[in-house]
Amino acid sequence: MRGAMSVTFRVHLCFFLLSLYVLKGQSRYLEEHEITPERVLSLLNSELKRELSDEFVYRRPLRCLDMLVVEGQFTFMADRPQLSCAAFFIGEPNELISIQYDAANIDCAGGDFIKIFDGWVLKGEKFPSSQDHPYPLYERYVDYCTTGSSRRVIRSSQNVAMIFFRIHSAGSGFTITVTKLINPFPCNVISQTPEGSFTMVIPQQHKNCSFSIIYPVEIQIAELSLGNLNDVSLKRSPWGCAGTGDFVELLRGNGMDTSKMVPVADLCYSFSGPAQMKIGCDNTVLRMVSSGKFVNRVTFQYRLLHQHELEKLRGNNLEDFCDME
Amino acid sequence: MKLHLLVSIAVLLVAFLPRHECRAIEPPGALPAPAHQPALQQQQHLPLLVRLGEEYFVRLGDGGRSQSVIPATSADATVRKALDLQLTQRLLQSKVDNLSRFVSSLAEPAERGRRSEEPPISLDLTFHLLREVLEMARAEQLAQQAHSNRKMMEIIGK
Repeated sequence: MRGAMSVTFRVHLCFFLLSLYVLKGQSRYLEEHEITPERVLSLLNSELKRELSDEFVYRRPLRCLDMLVVEGQFTFMADRPQLSCAAFFIGEPNELISIQYDAANIDCAGGDFIKIFDGWVLKGEKFPSSQDHPYPLYERYVDYCTTGSSRRVIRSSQNVAMIFFRIHSAGSGFTITVTKLINPFPCNVISQTPEGSFTMVIPQQHKNCSFSIIYPVEIQIAELSLGNLNDVSLKRSPWGCAGTGDFVELLRGNGMDTSKMVPVADLCYSFSGPAQMKIGCDNTVLRMVSSGKFVNRVTFQYRLLHQHELEKLRGNNLEDFCDME
Repeated sequence: MKLHLLVSIAVLLVAFLPRHECRAIEPPGALPAPAHQPALQQQQHLPLLVRLGEEYFVRLGDGGRSQSVIPATSADATVRKALDLQLTQRLLQSKVDNLSRFVSSLAEPAERGRRSEEPPISLDLTFHLLREVLEMARAEQLAQQAHSNRKMMEIIGK
């Protein structure tokens, strides 16, 4: 009996010591390796923190035509009348754009304006399209002259936004601070890069989400999960996806508006294993339509088409439209 | 006893499974920092379209009428004109739309919807130029990240 107890005691002791050893820091799940400015600042005293926090804010002048990927503070100061200016904002797929007016010295009555658009507009075509965006078009433009100080911070609904501005007088201008917020379930996305991979998840929401790649690419769908796995009604239909509430479609076109693009393929059954397509258009979009009854998920990757692949596509196609294979 | 054994095995697996080497996360398709970066910063005040150093198309038009397309070079006068990238003058058109919408408030909802779907302000820019400015912005982000990392290392080193 005494021997058995000491064996049990030894087992307990060994287990205890093992746990201590593991928790000492050998478990990779507990360690944080990311060094961010915020973490560094938190180690310093308050005076040094104040001095340095300013240094970490990126600042530069805003240009009449500009594209901003970085966070920071941007000032536009007109040195002459600038009547047609616009800046694009874009973040990572899982980010939202937040724009704060720090200062504005413009003459609204004199025809100056600053308007922030929730999305991108190019040649009269907007992304996301009206079908895919939660707000009507008139709500997607926020006019500084109309809203004034009541809306100092404007947040986008996806990873892209734009600002349009017109300044008549030299010396007038404005300052904005751009920051990014995390979006746990990205819906509408424009890819910053011609290559990458992404998993789009729509968690039981009735909405349509588009992933836009503004390059000619080969897109490969690795996995698609639509609906309940046990739902046998969601099987391959020889008549396409018309009438089904949950499907994924591939679109191609030369504009931003997905509602004006041409569908080239649609998928309304779950599968895994790559399905790929080369699309030699200015814009390739993967769009998921979700009824809201299920959790739908699609994983895909894409890469830029090389010049010889583009030429081959163009050689194989007689139409004067962008090419695909 | 068996429970202890199972838990011990689980703990051992957690502790001693081979780990992947830590490495910096690189976004796919990350561009290398351009070699001419100091020059890029010096040229920040130059018009953007001159830096692109290639032809671009400027749409000059108004009020939604048919627009002429002029290929431009990087000459100064043309650049100045080009910098007045004429936003399609839907601003004026939208004011007209607002008026007519107010007047025809009994119009069919579909018709009203179609009219209101036209973005009042838009930018005429080719996809090619859009990609160019996007790539320049990404290069700026890489440069800013490198600068930020350098600053942090200086702080840590103090």
